[in-house]
This record gives sequence, C-alpha cells and structure tokens, in this order.
Amino acid sequence: MAEQTLDCLGEACPVPLVRTQKALAGLAVGDVLIVQIDHSCAMKNIPEWADKEGHNFEIDEVETGRWEIVIEKAH
Amino acid sequence: MTNLSSTTGRDANAAGSGGLRNNAVFKDLFVNPWTYVTGAVILALLNIALIASTGKGWGVTTAFAYWAGWIWNGVGGDAHNWAYFTEVAKAFNGEGFNFLTDPASIMNLGIIAGAFLSVLLASQARFKGLKSGKQAVAAILGGLLMGFGARLAFGCNIGALFTALPSLSGQGWVFIVFIFLGAAVGSRLLVKYFI
Repeated sequence: MAEQTLDCLGEACPVPLVRTQKALAGLAVGDVLIVQIDHSCAMKNIPEWADKEGHNFEIDEVETGRWEIVIEKAH
Repeated sequence: MTNLSSTTGRDANAAGSGGLRNNAVFKDLFVNPWTYVTGAVILALLNIALIASTGKGWGVTTAFAYWAGWIWNGVGGDAHNWAYFTEVAKAFNGEGFNFLTDPASIMNLGIIAGAFLSVLLASQARFKGLKSGKQAVAAILGGLLMGFGARLAFGCNIGALFTALPSLSGQGWVFIVFIFLGAAVGSRLLVKYFI
C-alpha cells in the first residue's frame, strides 16, 4: 500500500479537488493519498466528493487554517 | 463511509484543546459554513435593508470603476469625461460624490473587514504566499477579464445578477444564461491548461 502526498497549499477551489481526483485516479486500490490544503472550501468539497465516491477519508487539522485530508482509495 | 475523525490534529494547540472552539453553538455560528438556505435568507434580508436605507441594491464592481477614476484624477488625469461616467455610472460626476459618500465603496471595505473577522473567529487566518508564477499570471489575467467583463455587462454577479433578479430586471436573466455558458467554457480551460 503506497502513500502519496499532494501539495495543494495556496491553491483555491476548484484546483485542489480536481488535482485530488486526478491523483487518486493514478493510485491502486488500498493506496493512501494525503492532500495538504489551506483553503477552507476544499475542506468541504474534497470530503464531499470522497464520500460520494465511497472512499474512506479523515480530516486532520495540522495547524490553524491548514489541513490534511487522508483518503484511502476504495475501488 | 466513515469520516473517521475530524479532531485528530497533531498539534493540540492548533486544533484547540477546549474552550470556545469546541463549543457547539460557537462552531455552528463561526467555524462551520452556514447552509445555502441560511446564507440566502440573510443575504435577502440584508439587501432589503440596504435598498430601504440607500435606495440602491447591492453592487460591488461599479465602485471599483469609481476608485480607478478617483485614482486617475488624483494623479492628475481627468476621468470626469470618460464615457462610462457620463453615460452609465453618472453618479461619479454627482455633487459631493466621493469615497465616503458612496455606499458601495464603504460596503466593499466592509466585505474585506467582515471576511477577515470571519476567518479570525473561525481560527483559520493565515498568510498565504503565491504558489507559482503561473498562479500570479492567472490571478492578474482573471482579475482584468472579470473587471472588464463586469463593466461591459453593466455589473458583476452581484449587481447584474443578485440585485437584478429580485428587482425583476430582464438583465439578470440574460446574465444568468451567459454566466453558465462562461463557467462551462472556463472550467474546461481551467482543467486543460491550468491544473
């Protein structure tokens, strides 16, 4: 199970979501993608998309206004 | 589908180890985004209050044109005869019209102050640098296109859409059709060339 980090710091919507979708598409089932964001909208639309697609995810508040969304590719 | 946890921050201080940030009411009011319905109702009420108190609906970008005109006048130019100010936004040449007497200019300051207050209350304020030269070019180009487009359309998505529609102005319906067309083209360009 590979783990990949995607740096989306300083990027505004919808760029983090589109980059997440592209990055996850290149991973194998069971792999983990860690998306780093500092844009609060991305904290909403990335988990919403992951939930809709059926991937498990976890939101980690790393520091004030900065988050990591950990997504496990389910299919 | 499980959202495993949202409070497993590595830095206990950042995540907040107690106090207001973990208070449910405070979180709903200031940290979590409001629902679309809540936002819509509040915007509608505020716009009614604005029309009642100033006689005009909410607009954002016409004030930017005024600012540019004032700056141009300030550096020795003469913006009073610009067609936009003699034909469209005639208030510019009105008696005693300046930054302090223009409600839209003051409201634009309020938007910036309010947005800042909002991220402070949510503990999400941080300085962000530019990620790349590409991002800087895109921001400048996007700003110029939006500003120019908003002048051609006689308003932005606030004045020509949000304020136009409830005022039963036909302009708003034309605007909404083309904003969807523009967004469809724009998002394809974004995905193809920017990401």
